[in-house]
Amino acid sequence: MATEVRPLGWIAFSARSPKGDWEVYAMRPDGSDVRNLTNSPDTEDFYPLFSRDGLQLLYRSMPRGQTLNGSDYGRQGRLMLARANGSEAKAMGGEGELPWASWSPDGRQILTLQPKGFAIVDLASKQVVRTFPRGGFYQQPTWSPDGKALVGVSNGFNTGWSIARLELATLQANAVSVADCCTPDWSANGQRVVFSRRRPHAGENGGYGWTELWQAGADGQGASLVYAEVGRHLYGGHVSPDGRYVLFSGNLWEDGDPANRGAPMGLARLTDAPMIAEHPQLRQVYPQAKAAQVLVLPTGHEPCWTSSQAPGLPR
Amino acid sequence: MKRLGFILLAVLALAGLAWLWKPVPPKAAPFPADLGSVEVVAKLVEVPAGAVFHRELYHYATILRYEVVSCARGNLKPGEVIYVAHYDPWKPRAEAGDTRAGQIGGTVRSFVAGDRHHLALAAPLDDHYMGGLVDKYFGQHAGVTYWALRTDAE
Repeated sequence: MATEVRPLGWIAFSARSPKGDWEVYAMRPDGSDVRNLTNSPDTEDFYPLFSRDGLQLLYRSMPRGQTLNGSDYGRQGRLMLARANGSEAKAMGGEGELPWASWSPDGRQILTLQPKGFAIVDLASKQVVRTFPRGGFYQQPTWSPDGKALVGVSNGFNTGWSIARLELATLQANAVSVADCCTPDWSANGQRVVFSRRRPHAGENGGYGWTELWQAGADGQGASLVYAEVGRHLYGGHVSPDGRYVLFSGNLWEDGDPANRGAPMGLARLTDAPMIAEHPQLRQVYPQAKAAQVLVLPTGHEPCWTSSQAPGLPR
Repeated sequence: MKRLGFILLAVLALAGLAWLWKPVPPKAAPFPADLGSVEVVAKLVEVPAGAVFHRELYHYATILRYEVVSCARGNLKPGEVIYVAHYDPWKPRAEAGDTRAGQIGGTVRSFVAGDRHHLALAAPLDDHYMGGLVDKYFGQHAGVTYWALRTDAE
């Protein structure tokens, strides 16, 4: 698998540098050619998001020593905008402003989420061009590839952590998954959503159970397992630009462990789903699942993939 | 002999004083008159199974059902049922506040069905809280859900 994914663009992720601070890195999808995009030991730099054309990069930055929080990383620090290779970085606002920013399809606007509601901000003018109520959405919104909807984590569907979709024209919301869920991302064609889902359990792992990677139609239909392990929570699902692969991080701790080092990332073929890391307990739950083939990648947090070659260009 | 009697009397007097003296509980901070938009005394009707649980890594709020006893500010009537979201309900109220939830406080240490609480409330919930929500009454209530800013034992 490493050979087939290596030329398919770049993956951005945040990870601890040798100096101990968080930096935003880029690597080839096989984990090779890792390079530091932010190079800023005085700040904690995290939560990278390539624009859909792969030419621009958003991330957040806060003074060194502050602790990355698994629930709040999208609103910690300042939002930064840079070229995809990390050059020409500039702050887009103050501390905590423009929280949970997500790219518009054309890379000219960002969607943000704050207590008063969603706001769409034009990047060139920094003007708010639209606001609308958030209706229970509270973290990790992601704008769809066609610009017509968003998915995010909502508390409006009978669980504290539901994945829901909001149609931007009508502001009608529907549940995608109502088990304990988070970190949703769109499939390349915008028809499906990949997300993390806590499997119902009988108190295993100290009462927390384990979090699996799932997918469903954006209308909530056809939910199915992508990949499960016993012993690690799977978070940060992100679909490759060509729709064939899924990226994720797998960690022992239920919050993805951003306060420490993040988690080893992995990559698998979506065509192999449903799949499991072989374990008697999982085999009983998913008797038809395939044995997973996972390409193990470096340790990081919230990976993001672009097919563009721009992240690898000299600064 | 006289001296022994005096000592005995003194000991008895001290014992009597000790019996009469009761420790005075530390006074809670005065209930603020301007916190939130609603101030009520209300009875906690129940604590549904699974509504309050210990969770270290993630924060959440839980919605609890109250019956209003009296209303000092706002337009609630005695007997009216209200739904109130409490942040990280497994913590004593005085220890629940943080940078995420802001001003949370009060003397209540745990939620017990039947207890009366003196509450300072704000609404709508979305303006004050952005996070995981446990709602065991989902689909059973419409309208305002309040956000508890202060919860004192009554």
